[in-house]
Amino acid sequence: MTTVAERVEALPADSGYRTAAWMVKEWAESTPDRVAFREKDFGIWQETSWAEYWDIVLDAAHGLLALGVDVGDRVSIHSEDRPEWVILDIATIAVRGVSTGLYPTNPAIEVQYLISDSGARIHLAEDQEQADKVMEVIHTLPDLEKIIHVEPRGFRQWRDDDRFLFWDDFMDLGRQHRADNPGAVESRMAEATADDIITLVYTSGTTGPPKGAMISNANFTYAVEQVINVDGRVSKKPGDRVGPDDLILTYLPLCHIAERIFSTWTSVSSGASLNFAESIETVQQNLREIQPTIFFAVPRIWEKIHATIAIKARDASVFKRIWLGLGMWMAGIIGRQRVANDGDHTVLSGVLYVIGYPLVFRALKERIGMRRCRYAASGAAPIAPEVLQDFLGLGIPIYELYGMTENCAVATTNRPGRNKVGTVGEPYPGIGFRIDEETGEIQTKHPAVFVGYWNKPEKTAETFTEDGWLKTGDVGEWVDGTHVKIVDRIKHIIITSGGKNVSPSEIENSLKTSPYVKEAMVIGDGKKFLTALMGIEFDVVGDWATRRGIPYTTYRDLSEKPEVIELMQGVVGETNEKFARVENIRKFRMIPKELDHEDGELTATQKLKREAMDEMFGELISDMYGS
Amino acid sequence: MLYSSYEADQALMNTGPKKVILTLFLLFLAFIPLQMVEGIPDLIPGFDFLGNNDWLKLLSTACIFAIGALGLNVLTGLAGQVSLGHAFFMGLGAYTAAWLGAAPGPLAGIGLPMWIWLPAAGVVAAIVGVAVGPTAVRVRGLYLAFVTLGLVFVGEYIFRNWSTLTGGSQSGRTFPDFELRLWKEETPLVDFANDGTWFGVALSGEAKTYYLLVFLLVVFVLLAKNLQRTRAGRAFQSIRDRDIAAEIMGVNEFKYKLTAFGISSFYAGVAGALLASFVGRTIPERWDLFLSVQFIAIVLIGGAGVVTGTLLGSVFVITLPRIVQDFTGWLTEYVTEGNGVFVWLADLLVVTGEGDFGLINVQQGIGSGLSVSILNQVLYGLLIIGFLIFEPLGLYGIWLRIRNYWKGWPFTY
Repeated sequence: MTTVAERVEALPADSGYRTAAWMVKEWAESTPDRVAFREKDFGIWQETSWAEYWDIVLDAAHGLLALGVDVGDRVSIHSEDRPEWVILDIATIAVRGVSTGLYPTNPAIEVQYLISDSGARIHLAEDQEQADKVMEVIHTLPDLEKIIHVEPRGFRQWRDDDRFLFWDDFMDLGRQHRADNPGAVESRMAEATADDIITLVYTSGTTGPPKGAMISNANFTYAVEQVINVDGRVSKKPGDRVGPDDLILTYLPLCHIAERIFSTWTSVSSGASLNFAESIETVQQNLREIQPTIFFAVPRIWEKIHATIAIKARDASVFKRIWLGLGMWMAGIIGRQRVANDGDHTVLSGVLYVIGYPLVFRALKERIGMRRCRYAASGAAPIAPEVLQDFLGLGIPIYELYGMTENCAVATTNRPGRNKVGTVGEPYPGIGFRIDEETGEIQTKHPAVFVGYWNKPEKTAETFTEDGWLKTGDVGEWVDGTHVKIVDRIKHIIITSGGKNVSPSEIENSLKTSPYVKEAMVIGDGKKFLTALMGIEFDVVGDWATRRGIPYTTYRDLSEKPEVIELMQGVVGETNEKFARVENIRKFRMIPKELDHEDGELTATQKLKREAMDEMFGELISDMYGS
Repeated sequence: MLYSSYEADQALMNTGPKKVILTLFLLFLAFIPLQMVEGIPDLIPGFDFLGNNDWLKLLSTACIFAIGALGLNVLTGLAGQVSLGHAFFMGLGAYTAAWLGAAPGPLAGIGLPMWIWLPAAGVVAAIVGVAVGPTAVRVRGLYLAFVTLGLVFVGEYIFRNWSTLTGGSQSGRTFPDFELRLWKEETPLVDFANDGTWFGVALSGEAKTYYLLVFLLVVFVLLAKNLQRTRAGRAFQSIRDRDIAAEIMGVNEFKYKLTAFGISSFYAGVAGALLASFVGRTIPERWDLFLSVQFIAIVLIGGAGVVTGTLLGSVFVITLPRIVQDFTGWLTEYVTEGNGVFVWLADLLVVTGEGDFGLINVQQGIGSGLSVSILNQVLYGLLIIGFLIFEPLGLYGIWLRIRNYWKGWPFTY
């Protein structure tokens, strides 16, 4: 196995920049028969080798050339995670185009905004559902020329519309073009430069419309070198890095920078195989089947797995329950020991783990799909330390890291042996990282900091300081002088009428540690005291209610049961104990509906849009303040 | 499990432990007769009694019944067609074997070698099975059971009266021995029936027969296992689950019901030939309703539709009478000695003399109670009822439950 640097030097002089597409080509040449990705189809994980992968990418790239995609043209992709997503992405990079992803949950109005803002000429709509959204707004998208669809079903209605192109026909087009113009894609690849924009990643936009962050080839290279392909990320052993034997489960939206880095970028740069989950609903089952070795998840997923263990444990038969209780008790001790010891085992926790592994942990980890996991990460949103501690206790090496779209997620990370739970870790070595003394804002400066916002020079300018540092908008503080703790978004900090600064997300996360709580929003800016809006986790609370024989019908009905409100009161009380008096929640109200991206309360990444919440539930809020 | 091909998904030996356990089990089977051979150490403590000739005979019978039951399992367990006619097809196989295989004499027989008469027994039964099959397309459930019940009586009548072939009710007839000849030569190539030496090991005739039958069973188990994984096997199961739905999906009900009858009868014919040859002399009444019921019992107690279950069921049903007999013998002895703590309890169970009351009568008709053979039949009945109500998947279902308990560990689901 050669190092990345050696392989870079081995490139022929006229090969152009070593892009992600180029890396696929390298793997196809060095390990043609190894599995590049798997997709579950008809109940079987169908495997595709690197050689086949590159062949398909070449066809697709030729297809793009045949459709007249020029350097810098945008290709938008609106699909669940599936091989076609990645293939079109890599093919676009190969022809020096710019890919941009849409969230499958984006409603028509946002599809309209994203396609017209990016000015995409080619659009991939996975199925009829996504095609319907485009067709609703197609009259406002003059630049859009072709809509490629992967699923054939439901497209008869548009069979005379020559804007539509079925994926197989697109590939045929590519093969035809490839036969007529051999080497056209390779010569386009040879012209690639470090400054080529490879993708627009639209930030979720809790305030204002999404902005397309331009990510260049140079950003990509620096990001994978820092986050993935370097010693000390997945293990303390020198030379032990992510490699071709590693398995990755792809299930989070690929248009998000975190999933892009941890799946496609990791895969092409390290040779690890990608495994496409069937859907977000089947993630837990797919996890059990794949048993990935590298696993990245957002806190919501970790919380879900955490809650699953708790619920299933409660449903287990008596003997298993006692047994599991014993195991979790041991896991608790191990977790506490490891948290206190920078993530490493102490003698006590090591002994307990060796005893507990054959008894409980091995089987338990197998059930949740983490048995072979050697590196797990949480990011993209703050996670409660208790959750991390429990996973550490089960022997899952989990690290919280921090970054954002605008710096390609290169900011801080916890590392093996230096894992401080409750912090987001240390800045990556060699990057520019500072915490502004006045505002406490975290600022970064390194080669993975994005080029700018697409078509929004004034917004770009706002994002950088005068001396060229990226303003992250997050308030951080140093812990022990090495690690960083994120306090909150600058915009979210609450200043009560008493003049006290409060970080709502810390309180919200503490509330969300309870498996019963799905949403929590702490309010109190300019008010005398803090209040909260709470949303229940419907499945868990439903299960809880059923056990107690409390009848309920809908989400709203369940939310408003006096017993449930009492349950929430308990959760709030527990949280209040952990915080100072001024940070206590005096009143709360239940959110009467399940929050949803399409209704505008959540961003595509399931973050609360506070302004929208204020507007929608203004009555509940003013009711709490008695005005 | 990560399956990247249907072959892996459907593999018989899909896990390592399965392979290991199966290998060990086959070794165990192979070792049973060797227990009795001088100079070979006792390697299976607690199971050495299995090497006795009478237990070997019991195990051999279980093998034969297992082959027959595998056939009924295809028809009833897989394709869902209840048949009480299994004994008839076994009789057909037995007399085919006799005609082809027995030495010429007063009764019909042309003395062909085993490699002809054994398959032929199956083929003839299969042909008749296919001929009967169409009735199954017209009638189902209870009515099919009645039609096939009729077969048994028709068969018994024919067998009784065709005395040039069957020898009639009085004396019955003998059947060909287990001997492998190329053609009609004097000394057989391999003699399974009499004592002899194989590879330097002195084996009894029973032991050699046992090896032959275990080998045949393994072959038939493999065939049955693989049948389940073929297009035909899946078609059978779809017919069982809902025949109309199966037809709508494109399963040719007529063709597959006939196929099921054919395959099932083939197994029955072979088992009949083996059983008759194994026993040596049989009267036509051997192929009666009770034999059919025994097979139903094996399939239901073992677990309908599951090969493993059928094997468990055969061993269970065949060894049950022996276990009951040994148990009552031990009980009687216990009571007669009369110095145990639970003598009063045992005395309630067995009838030891005139005027004594009890459940089991070992006195050959003196006093009350059931004789051991009646008790066995009652037990079969109770077991069938019990399994149908409490564990429809049979012994295999119990195993499944145990396995699922550990599969979900440490959760319940």
